[in-house]
Amino acid sequence: MAIAVLVRRFVVRELTDRFAGSVSGAMWALLQPLLQLAITAFVFVHVFKARVPGDSTIGYVPFLALALWPWVAFSEAVLRSTTKIVDNAALIGKVALPREVLILASVGASFAVHTVGFIAVVLVLAVTRQGIHLEGLVPSLLLFVPLAGLALGIALICASIQVFVRDLVLALGQLLPLMMFAAPVYYDREQLPEQYRRFLDFNPFTFYAESFRALLLDHGTIGVRSSIVAVLLSVVALVAGRWIFRRLDSHFEDFL
Amino acid sequence: MTDVLVQARGLGKAYPKVHRTSDRMRALGRLLFTGKDGDRVAVLRDVKLDIRRGESLALIGENGAGKSTLLKLITGVLTPSTGTVEVKGEIGALLELGAGFHPEYSGRDNIAMSAALHGLSGEELQRRMPEIIAFADIGHYIDEPVKHYSSGMVVRLGFAVVAALKPDLLVTDEVLAVGDESFQKKCVQWMKEYLAAGGTLILVSHSMYHVQKLCRHACWLRDGAIEMYGDVFDVTQAYLAYHERKCAPVESASDRAAKGTLEFSILEVSLNGSLSDQPVSIEIGDTLVVRASVQSREGREPCLAIGIVRADGTPVYGVGTDMDGYTPQQMGANQFACEIEFNSVALLPGSYTVRVHPMDSEGVRVFDTVERGVIVRGASREFGMVRLAHQWNPIVTGAPLT
Repeated sequence: MAIAVLVRRFVVRELTDRFAGSVSGAMWALLQPLLQLAITAFVFVHVFKARVPGDSTIGYVPFLALALWPWVAFSEAVLRSTTKIVDNAALIGKVALPREVLILASVGASFAVHTVGFIAVVLVLAVTRQGIHLEGLVPSLLLFVPLAGLALGIALICASIQVFVRDLVLALGQLLPLMMFAAPVYYDREQLPEQYRRFLDFNPFTFYAESFRALLLDHGTIGVRSSIVAVLLSVVALVAGRWIFRRLDSHFEDFL
Repeated sequence: MTDVLVQARGLGKAYPKVHRTSDRMRALGRLLFTGKDGDRVAVLRDVKLDIRRGESLALIGENGAGKSTLLKLITGVLTPSTGTVEVKGEIGALLELGAGFHPEYSGRDNIAMSAALHGLSGEELQRRMPEIIAFADIGHYIDEPVKHYSSGMVVRLGFAVVAALKPDLLVTDEVLAVGDESFQKKCVQWMKEYLAAGGTLILVSHSMYHVQKLCRHACWLRDGAIEMYGDVFDVTQAYLAYHERKCAPVESASDRAAKGTLEFSILEVSLNGSLSDQPVSIEIGDTLVVRASVQSREGREPCLAIGIVRADGTPVYGVGTDMDGYTPQQMGANQFACEIEFNSVALLPGSYTVRVHPMDSEGVRVFDTVERGVIVRGASREFGMVRLAHQWNPIVTGAPLT
């Protein structure tokens, strides 16, 4: 498959771009999340004395880490992909290529890096006896599939609009943290005042934050209905993203 | 019937007028909701083109005529604004310098990416990599980042990749110009072999030498439309003649007004019997007869000078009646006529001007100038303006060089 070869090349290029010039190269992909985990653990546990309300069996570090890594994968995928078309203007102007490949590779690279980081973090948490249910690791990795689909759908929309309106990436830099704080990443659903809790369900990431914890920490449950909604949402995002991208694709050159 | 690789019908490209950010917003809205676009500037209009397998076509034209845009439409980098372009088979394209190389990556990495973009699989690339590197012939630079390359090296690399792919259709945009002499030769040689093996070529070049050497047909684009399409020699000659005319000094109109009061003035000039202002066209070796009639105010006998200049004003040949001792024929009280015949005109194909000047009886003062165009047709790769009589002599081996 020619497209598969192309995507692989772009993923490799994206990864080498990120770690280019670093002495240990790919080692950073593992080192980065673990260092980040250590810092988070120190600040939240020893400085803020944060803990999970109503559940003394699990620590705050695994509680946060399991939602934070998927979030970082998602938000980084969207943010980085948004400028991909504009960044590759020189290539697009000279070579005929299916432009979706650039977005696909960028999202793929973000998820590849952070899934590896996620596995490393989960393993470290398990080894340090933080109450991780390791049998939930493989099913939890499956959650990355609809999450990546959602990211890809949104990335296709953002990347094509970014060609026309260059403010988008700036706005996204503000909107994504807002989306994170509007999802139970740093806190638990139970901590919100009763009347606000139902609004959490309008945030697509709520499902993922809670599901990772349910699978790996046995904290809360995964609802069948919300799973179906999440998968459907990813499909809708992908279809809409592809439609918008295709519609604008042929005019990219005029506006780059 | 050979199959058509590229078929363009009513092909046009227009760019949107985008001056402010709000224009971009509006364009986005229009594209999303109506699928249409607003105000546009057309850079290519109504192009009809058929390129068959095995054909070699040159695209020529001034800067900004739309050559690169047409290539980009054919290769699919751009989407047509109007009309359609259908392409069969695999295209190898070298559009401008760089060919989409990433400056931070080494030549080797860029070859790999370029090959993937052309749809080459990993194993195939492994197999052809040595061949590509050998063709590019840039030594140890192959492992250096492309940003350290000279422009010639970038082209070498780009051409090497395309050459290794052996596409059905090769599209190159003025890439030969930056290569050095030996690489140009290599490329030209490669393209000739490629064409001989049934390849199809579209070449954009400002070098008429390369164009005539490699292409059978040419298409002259002017202001976004096809000005002329046909045999490469006809089109390049017309194109060069156009340039020569463009560079030639413009004749001032005030000369004409003063004509009636001149002591001697030209009444009419005919070339091969034609009185019209349209250029007369002849083949190399044809006969050219120039006939002129002169009005003499005082009825004195004039001298006539007749010259041929190239369209840009470079003199080729000039002769006067007085030099050859010819006397113009008196036609009436104040009218004289003369006729000169150039038999087997040895002018090389191109555009020329015949100038006729009446002079006083002593052949000293020039009073008037009338110009008529002559176009010499024919296929020739000879250089210069005239074909000098020549022959190639056989060398007798063993005979001493004397």
